Amino acid sequence: MSLPIALDAMGGDFAPGEIVAGARRAVDELGIEVTLVGVPERLGDPRGLPVVPCTEVIAMDDDPGASVRAKKDSSLVRAAELVRDGAAAAMVSAGNTGATMAAAMLRIGRIPGVVRPCIATPIPRPGTTPMVLVDSGANSECTPEMLVQFAQMAAAFHAAYFATPSPRVGLLSIGEEPTKGTPLVKATHELLAATPGLTFVGNVEGRDLVPSPVEVVVTDGFTGNVALKTMEGTLRFVLGSLLRLVDTDDETRGAGRALAPHLGPFVGLFTPENQGGAPLLGLKGVCVISHGSSDATAVMNALRVAHEMVSSGVVNSLRSVFRPGEGG
Amino acid sequence: MSADPATPLDRAAVATLVRGQLAEILEKSPADISDVAPFAELGADSLALIELVEALEERLDDYVAGFHIDDAALEGLHTVNDAVDYVAAKLHLA
Repeated sequence: MSLPIALDAMGGDFAPGEIVAGARRAVDELGIEVTLVGVPERLGDPRGLPVVPCTEVIAMDDDPGASVRAKKDSSLVRAAELVRDGAAAAMVSAGNTGATMAAAMLRIGRIPGVVRPCIATPIPRPGTTPMVLVDSGANSECTPEMLVQFAQMAAAFHAAYFATPSPRVGLLSIGEEPTKGTPLVKATHELLAATPGLTFVGNVEGRDLVPSPVEVVVTDGFTGNVALKTMEGTLRFVLGSLLRLVDTDDETRGAGRALAPHLGPFVGLFTPENQGGAPLLGLKGVCVISHGSSDATAVMNALRVAHEMVSSGVVNSLRSVFRPGEGG
Repeated sequence: MSADPATPLDRAAVATLVRGQLAEILEKSPADISDVAPFAELGADSLALIELVEALEERLDDYVAGFHIDDAALEGLHTVNDAVDYVAAKLHLA
């Protein structure tokens, strides 16, 4: 019997209702074992799923470090401890991102050699594997050495999870020339170019994010998060405008009906709920962070990502990057 | 690096413990951890300091059950010496 995935049932804008509903769907539709971690009095009906009880909840606006220290019996901290103690194969949370990072770091721990974990968000590329954007929000302030590690981890993740032999890595900047960008970007470019084992292709620009010509785009967590949210907002606006456009009169409605079968899969590909969650790379275990506004579909897909992270052995692949010979 | 509860704790032992734990977190040699350099200069950010505090609480619990470092005190700890002074005062060490 495989280990369950520990799900922070209290984290997220629509917790616990949508979280529990997503867990139930993951069990029924995907056959994934899930353990809820939550406050029984606030959880409501666990819908037949096992519950690890706790007494506290870390709020979305709580200070990440302080809340993890102060709320030791919170659903988030307890979920991380289940992974640490070998009682769960992975953890998933749609709660406070900073606190998830802190809880995972403090309880699950970093892979030796990793300075800081990073969030790796897959961005769809129609017809091929996704591009992975790192760091998409865990570390606002970074050093060049941290960015090199993010690139190494994301490349190892892409190779293990998407079975890509030599993922190409691009550095997000404001021009293709190595002399373009902030001091951080320029120093990182130099280090990436000298890092063995990476297929570094140089700088990429914002317009290269969708669709991306590379498998990995590396940047600091502040820039990465701004880029990610910009893409989400732009896509929502464009698709919303298109849907309104094909509903203005009989002629456009006819065109809409003709386009619908072709647009549907495209829209589905870029719907964040279908991606589910993004893994936090660099930990000794699997942790998947889901959007704060996750609904049941997003939670189910975040659990799917966590399950696939475990089965594809990503953590061992990452270990071997930093301690060659110890992975696998 | 862990403190040995069989050994009486004094200020020097606390200093060794703090340096050792911080070195482990930053993956450096204890010899590279200055007692007077600001944590930021050593490469320790706020998360690294929380790791340090949690590690110290765990190790020092062997000496004083429930040993706790107040979060409010964290803002006043900028160097290894600051941390050693804080722990020594809390444990009434010479």
